[in-house]
Formats: sequence, C-alpha cells, structure tokens
Amino acid sequence: MSTLAQLRPVAALFFRGNRRNLLFGAALSLTTALAGIALLGLSGWFITATAIAGASIVTALAFDVFMPSAGIRLLAIGRTASRYGERLATHDATLRVLARLRENLFRGWATPDTARNLSMQPSRLLFRLTMDVDALDSLYLRLVVPVLASAGAAVAVAVALAFVQPALGLVVGVVLLAGGLGIPLVAAIRAKSVARRRARALETLRSRAIDLVRGQVDLAMSNRLGAHLRLMAATDQSLATADRELNRIESDAGLGLGILGAAILASVLVAVAFLAERGTIGAPVATFAVLLALAALEPFGALRRGAIEFGRTLLAAQRLGPRLAEPPHTDKRESVEDDDLAFRIDHAEVRLSGASRPILQNVSLKAALGEHIAIIGPSGAGKSTLLSLLAGELSPACGKVATRKVGLLTQRTELFRDSLRGNLLTANPSANDTMMLDALNSAGLGSLVTSLPRGLDTMLGEGGTGLSGGQARRLALARLFLRDAPIWLLDEPTEGVDGDTARDVIERIGARAAERTVVIATHIRREAEIANRFIELKAGRVEADRKQDSVEYGVLVNRLRPN
Amino acid sequence: MTAFEASSARIASPHTEQLAEPVGAALATTDKSREISTRWAALLQTFGSLVWIPQAVLVSVAVGNIASGAKAEVAILPAAGIFVLGALRAILERAGTRRAYDAARNRLSDLRQQASHAVARQSPLDASRPSSGHVASTLAEQAEAIVPYLARFEPLRLKSMVVPLVILACILPLSWAAALVLLVAAPLIPIFMALIGWRAKEASENQLAEMGGMNAYLLDRLRGLATIRAFDAVDRTALQLRANAETLRERTMAVLRIAFLSSAVLELFSALGVAMVAVYVGFHFLGQLDFGAWGGSLSLSQGLFILLLAPAFFEPLRELSSVWHDRAAGQAGLKALQDLSSSQTAIVGAVESTVPEVIDEALSVSIDGLCFTYSGNETPVLDRFTLVIAPGEHVAIMAPSGGGKSTLLALLAGLAPASAGSIRIGGEPLNAATAARLRAHIGWLGQPPHIFAGTIESNVSLDRPGVGKQDVAGALEIARMTELTDHRGSSPIGENGVGLSGGEALRLAIARAAAGHPRGLLLADEPTAHLDSGTAEEVSERLLAIAAGSTLIVATHDPRLAARMNRIVTFEAPARDTAS
Repeated sequence: MSTLAQLRPVAALFFRGNRRNLLFGAALSLTTALAGIALLGLSGWFITATAIAGASIVTALAFDVFMPSAGIRLLAIGRTASRYGERLATHDATLRVLARLRENLFRGWATPDTARNLSMQPSRLLFRLTMDVDALDSLYLRLVVPVLASAGAAVAVAVALAFVQPALGLVVGVVLLAGGLGIPLVAAIRAKSVARRRARALETLRSRAIDLVRGQVDLAMSNRLGAHLRLMAATDQSLATADRELNRIESDAGLGLGILGAAILASVLVAVAFLAERGTIGAPVATFAVLLALAALEPFGALRRGAIEFGRTLLAAQRLGPRLAEPPHTDKRESVEDDDLAFRIDHAEVRLSGASRPILQNVSLKAALGEHIAIIGPSGAGKSTLLSLLAGELSPACGKVATRKVGLLTQRTELFRDSLRGNLLTANPSANDTMMLDALNSAGLGSLVTSLPRGLDTMLGEGGTGLSGGQARRLALARLFLRDAPIWLLDEPTEGVDGDTARDVIERIGARAAERTVVIATHIRREAEIANRFIELKAGRVEADRKQDSVEYGVLVNRLRPN
Repeated sequence: MTAFEASSARIASPHTEQLAEPVGAALATTDKSREISTRWAALLQTFGSLVWIPQAVLVSVAVGNIASGAKAEVAILPAAGIFVLGALRAILERAGTRRAYDAARNRLSDLRQQASHAVARQSPLDASRPSSGHVASTLAEQAEAIVPYLARFEPLRLKSMVVPLVILACILPLSWAAALVLLVAAPLIPIFMALIGWRAKEASENQLAEMGGMNAYLLDRLRGLATIRAFDAVDRTALQLRANAETLRERTMAVLRIAFLSSAVLELFSALGVAMVAVYVGFHFLGQLDFGAWGGSLSLSQGLFILLLAPAFFEPLRELSSVWHDRAAGQAGLKALQDLSSSQTAIVGAVESTVPEVIDEALSVSIDGLCFTYSGNETPVLDRFTLVIAPGEHVAIMAPSGGGKSTLLALLAGLAPASAGSIRIGGEPLNAATAARLRAHIGWLGQPPHIFAGTIESNVSLDRPGVGKQDVAGALEIARMTELTDHRGSSPIGENGVGLSGGEALRLAIARAAAGHPRGLLLADEPTAHLDSGTAEEVSERLLAIAAGSTLIVATHDPRLAARMNRIVTFEAPARDTAS
C-alpha cells in the first residue's frame, strides 16, 4: 500500500478541480473501445443472420435490414467521433494538470532550504525535474485512461455474453479482467526496479556528458579522457541492459496477452458450438459472441506501455510529491522593531549538513539605517553566506536574524526569459514605465533601451541572453533600483565586469544608495570604497568591525584587490 | 553484443593513435549485420500479422459449420488450430519486436560512442564546439528517440506494404466488390492525411515543442530563485507561470483540434471500410447486391472471412500513423548526433596515452615560429612566436587579455594544432604520434578547473592509476587543503564547484596537478586571476611548491606572481619572437 501512498500527492493534484475533465476523457475512451467491439460483433451477427435469411426468398424479403445496417454505420461514425473527442479531452485534461503542476512545483521549490539545494546542483536537479514532470504524463494517459477503458469494455462484453449465456459471460468476464489487468500488473512489478535503474543511468550518462565537455581539458591533461569515454560507454551499456530488460518485459506481456486472446477466442468458439448444438442460441448470436471474444482483449494492449513506465512514474511521484505539499513557512527572519535599526543578527550559526565546522559561527551584528557596510575577508570566509542569511535564503541553525525589507543583487546575474519590463517588474510590480525608464537611466541603460525598436517590450532569452555581460549587470542593477527597500544586499556587484563598467556601476550604486543601508560583499577595493564601515570575516567569524574614522580602516582597505 | 565488445576493445588497445579508424571500420561491419537483423525483425513481425489469415479461415469455417447445424465436436479441431496459430502469432510478434529493439538499441550505443569520441577529440580552442548542455541533452535524451523510431517505424514500413496487399489478394478471388471497397478506402487515408493531416501535425509538433518550452520557462525561473525570493516575487511568479501555461494550453488545443482530424480521418475510413464490407456482404446474402462475387454468390464462411480480414487490412496503416511522431523525433535525434560527430578542429594525437612511463626530470621546451589563428578571425593570435626554455626554468608569460597567453599554453599541451611552426618538449617534436604521451608528462593548472561530481578527494585523484590515497593526502597537504577537507568531511562538492570559493577551487586544481607528480613540465593558466591578494599570495606559494624541480610556464597578469619566476616573457598581440 505504500506505493499508493506515494502516489497520493500527485493523484490529489490531478483530481483536484479537474475530476470532470479527467473522467470525461476516460469515458470517451471507453466509448471508443465499446464502439469498436460492438461494430465487429454487430457486423458478424448481421452477416450470419442475413446468410441464414437469404437461404430462402421469403425470409430474405422479410428481413429487416434497416436497423442493423444503420447500427453498423452509426457505430463506425460514432467510434470515429468518440476517438476524436477522447484525444481532445485527454490532452486538454493533461495540459490542465501540467499547468497546475508547474505552479505548485515552483512554489514547492521556492522555500529557502530547497532553493539552496537547487542552487548547489542546478543542472542535475533541473534535469531530474523535467524528466519527472514528463513521466507524470504517463499516469493519466497511459494508466488511468486505459485501465478504465479496457476494464469497462471487458465488463460490457461480459454483460453482453451473459445475455447469451450467464455462465459464459461470467467466465469470460473474470478471465478478461484477471488476465487483461493481471498481465500488465505483473509487467509493472517486474519493470519497477528496472525503470528506476534506467532513470538513474540516464542521469549519470547526462552528467558524464557534461563532465566530458566542461572537464575535457582537465581529463586530457590527466590522461583520463580515454577512461572517461570508457566510463560513458559503460554507463550506456548499463542503460542498454535496462532498456533491453524493459523491452523483454513488455514483449513478454504482449506474448501473454496474445496467448490469452487466442485461448479466449478458441474457448468461446467451442462454447458457442455446444450452445448452438443444444439449440440455446442461433448461429447469428454465436457469431456475435465469437467476434466479441475476438475484440474484447484489444483495449488491454494499450496498458503495456503504461505498465513498463509505471516504475518511472512512481519515482517521479516520490520525488515531486514532497514539493507538491503546501510549502511550510520556513522564513524565520523577524522584523525589526527598533526605529533606527536596519537589521540585527544575534549569535547566528550556519552549518552545512555533514560538515564538521559551521560556515558562520556566533555572528552578531547590528546595522543602523543608512550605514554602508563592506563585508570583506578571504574567499570561503562566509561573506555570501552572511548575505544569504539576511536575504532569508538560509535559516540559521541557531541564533536570530531580524531585518527590514531587502533588495538583493546576486553575484551571478539572474535575469529571466521575459521582456525587459517583465524583468523589471519582478522587483516592483507597481512600477510604471516612467519609473522603469528612470531606473534604467540611473543604471546607465537608458540610451540602449530607447534605441531598441520595441523598447521595454524587448524580449530576453533564457537567463537573460541577448545582453552582454555588462548590460545584463546594469539591467539587474536597474531592477534593484526599482526595489523600494531600506536595505540593499550586493554580492560582488562588479565581479566579471570590465574595469570601466565596474567603476561606473559602483558610482551609480553610490548615487542611489544615499538613504539606504547597503551591505556589499567584496574583495575589490573599488567596491568597498562606497562603504563607511568594514566587517572582516575569517573562517566564519567576525574578525574585525571598523568604522571609517578608525585607525585600522586604511589597513583593511589596502588588503583588498586594487583594480 | 559481440560487435560492441569488439569496438570497445579496440578503443582500449594500445594503438590508440589511429582511434577514429578502427571504430569506424567496426561500425561499418556491424551496420551490415544490424541491417540484416532489422530486416529479419520486420519479416517476423509481418509474418506474425499474416498468421491471422489462416486463423480467420478457421474461425469462419467453424462458424459456418455451426450455422449449417454440424455437431459441436466439429468446432473443437478448428478451435485448437485457432489457439495454436494465435500462440504462434504472439511468439513471432515477440521475437520480431525483440530483434528489432536490440538492433535499434545497439545502433544507439554505437552512435553515442561515435558522438562522444568526436566531442572528446574536438579542440577546446574550436569556437564551434557545442555547449555542455547541448551535448548532454543530445547524447542523453534526444538520442533516446532513435530507438523507438528504428525499432517500431522501420519494421512497420514493411508490414504496411505487405500485409494489406496479401489480404487484398486473399479477398479478391472471393469478391471483387469487397476488395474494391478496401482498395478505395485505403489510398484515401494517406491522401487525406497528406492533405490536412501532416501539415497540421507539424504545427502540432511545433506546439508540443512549445509545451516543452514550458519546462524551460519553469527552469529559467527556478535558476533565478534567489532573486525572485529576495524581491518577494514568489507568488507573482507562480501565478504568472500558471497563467502562461493556461494560455499555452488554449493555443495548443486550438491546434490539436485540427491536427487530430487527420487521425480521425484514418479512423473514419478504417471503420467505414469495415462497416461497408459488412453491409455489402449482408445485402449480398439477401440477394439485394448480387454482383461482386465473380458471378457466383458468397457462402457464409466466405463472407465472414472477408469481414474478419477487413480490420486487419487497416491495422498496419493505423499503427504506422501512431508511430509517425516517433519518426520525426528519431530523425531529429539521428541528425543531432551526426552534427556532434562532425567535429572540426581536433586535439593533437590520441585522447590518451597507454604507455605508463614516468619521467623524473625536468623537460626543455622549444617553440619555433609558432602561428595560430582562430577560425573566422583574420589576424593571428600568435604570429611566428619563438621561445626556448631550459629544463627546470620557471617562466612567466605576460600579455594583455586576448594576447594569446592561454592559446600558447593550449598549443604546448597539444590541445589544438598550430597553424604553422613547431614545438619540441624534452627535445621531442609534438605531433599526432607523440602528443598523447607528452601530455601525460605535463602538469596542468587551468582556470577555472572543472570540478567533477564527487568528493574533494575523488576530484584530486581523478581515479588515475598510480594515484593512491597517499598521493592524494600528500597533494592535499601541498595545496594546504587539509583544513578544508576536514571541515567539509566527505560531503560531495556541489555541481561544478558550487560551494567552493574561487581560491579553494584553485587549490583543488593545484592538488590535482600535484597528485599526478608532474616532473617534466607544469603549465599554469592565470592561476591568481579573480583572487583577493591574500589568497593569490597563498596560491602562488603552493604553485611554486609543486613546481620545485620541474619546468614551469605561467601565463599571468599578476606582477607579483611573475616576479617570482626566473624569467618574464612579455608580448603584445600578435605575439612574435620576443626578447626576454
């Protein structure tokens, strides 16, 4: 039952508010299956009945051809219509679910600790996420719909045969349901662990492909390039083994269904022969029964693929399930009650899981409104971690963080595939065009934007591609300028930007930062120069805290990189 | 499988210098056997489908007997035949699918191997080199699409050509009218599909690709989570995400409404084909349509037989249309892999040296008239550059950004062929035959180093044979990383070094180089760039520690690091023979 429990969050997502669409799609699928079976059965009955009636002229003339022949045509057209409707309905329902799924997943990932996890392994986790989302499609389209349609059709066939002979209907019904659902079920159980193995091997292959490109030089220079290629070939081989096993399981299920179908057909034929001999039924009904038996197992064939993919679907459900639950409120920052205080940190400690030493330990800081603080220290001292703490990206293991509203400029420029306007609105949804152009001007992008034919509606590519590194940085800066927050957190704001742009950016920050509290993590002198207070971190502790007027201030400045 | 083992064994063989050729040859021979295998698979599946014809004969004869009031026992033998034939059909079907699958899957392995070798050989200085993300998605996901295409679509092509014709040939002697009904319905299907179907289908595939774009949209926003969270925009972004997905759904459904018409047409004709055959036969029996049976009249068994074959006539066409999407995806996958394999500039020599030869002395370097021009550029980065470095000498190469420092180091390592000129390392010319072996004697400190998924220790050892626990510990000691490894424990490093600072990553690169015990030559590319002064100082110190006793060439901007070398070589772009 734990399997079903794992599926619950995903199933809940599927059915919440979408039940009618999903059931409608399944119902149409059932109608299609039934119409197909009925078309064959009725045609067989019609041919046999006409053959018998046609033996004499009298009965031939008396035979009512209208009902059955109209029925046959109706079923043929009805089957087409319901098939068309089924495909539309199931696709629409799936797309609705996927829309909701994306929203919920985003919310699920947006909690601080998961977000941090994501930032540690972005491409691996994001790839996994894509594959998981795709795997969930299969739950409805390849499992729920075919199970309902094929089981429904089997019941209908059993009922129809029960009218011919109750015992016949019962036996065929039981065999159809047990075999038709049992064979895919066995396949699903056999395939479960293989499908997971396959998913993992594909992930490994992918990350090794990334290593091959990004680590090519390191591998070549360590004489490991050949070994890495062999490693990739081996990964592909384990993937191939899993693939083949899955193919074996699927074709075994096909074999099982094929033999079962032949057995049902042969037994029903013998059964109706005996019933006809006894005079219980006539030849037309016998044909009808045989053709129903022939067509009844076909809908179950659609279950094979879903059964093989079930293990993968389950894995996706396991991984995504926790993200779909209502995200807990994990932002533990408090608000500042003191009037002239910007933030305060009391005895905060931050620790990576599994690490023996914390990244920040016993850090206590207070900043007044309007202070400009540079956080300096060797790389790895915890500068970015301190900003993350203030931004609420990280919660302290112990200690307290209280802060006012913040604006953040991340170290890596984070822009989105959206218009310039859309990117700017992220910081302030109520900003109008005048405010945006003003912010862009202040960031030094004004002339560029006015020269663009589509102006603020110019679209950016994924991650903000389409802008140069310097332009992207300026756009991020303009976005920060739109953020009406008393605290600005800047993580190495000019890293990776050429000297002239860097100096310009720093100047512009200084000009807009007058009444704000600015916290800037840096190891470059030009960035630190807008600060009037220096905090030096070393191995996760506050090593020095100096105001501009103190003696050691100059010493600290001189330790920074000059350019 | 043997084919694969053969080709991978060749890769592992010592004569890796001519790597590309044997793999290609092995693939050519396996391609042939694979083609035969695929053809067999198609035949098995086609034959399996044809077994339905005798089964249909038995069913219709048995029912005919029932109608004519024969004894029930008469039905037992045909029933047994039906069962045996049905089982045979299932067995053939299974054998056919398995064969087809295996052939397709082996093909995928070969193509993947070919493409990854090509990627491994492509020079890092080649600007047309695909991004890691592109390579990963091509080699992993996109390549997967080849298997269903080759395994399903190809056998179906044969089946859809043979099965309908054989069925038609069985029906025609009984009734030309019924055969005509099928014959008229069948070609209409492709015509209609071509008329409205395939264009709409293409549109729908584009639309579905756009649906895939929804994933990209989500990933795009997830990558910028820190910004979104800091600006309190989580809720807005989530709603936006939902709204976009909903609009996309509406647009997709508008396209699908048309696209699905094509398969509806197929369904309609196959259903109507069956219905018309049934109605024709029925009316024929009643004497109302007494033509079509070559002047005679059909028996019940004959009529029933025709009815049973009618759906089977359309079956391959329906299957073919259901795998149409596999075809498009599979062909795209094949093309993408081929594009990866058509690499331009390759690194010099083989991808690895299999000669386990340790040198214990510093190597001289002599560069003579070296030229290099990036493809697409007019001006060379290096123009007749000449330099001689004595064994054990420590040299700093100083030049402005884009001045060709990194290019020079890459050429020294044989990571790209020079346009002209020669390089000798330890007196030996660097060429295709020697490059792999010479590389094994060169220590390398790149900027930034690539951090592999795993622990710090595994990143230092890189699983090199001969680099044991002791060597790793020693290397970590030299790079002053023991404190870091202590406080990180054995926790894995984040993807591509996330969680390591710039200085830590550099020290990791130093440890990596140190673990290989480079005695011959050490090349370091801007080891102190982007580091604060204290860290830069520390890194320089560590670099000199591992370079003691070997030749060292450092490309750098950093005057403090350069000052610690025996000699400084400066050049302006393009670099020519320069006095030191």
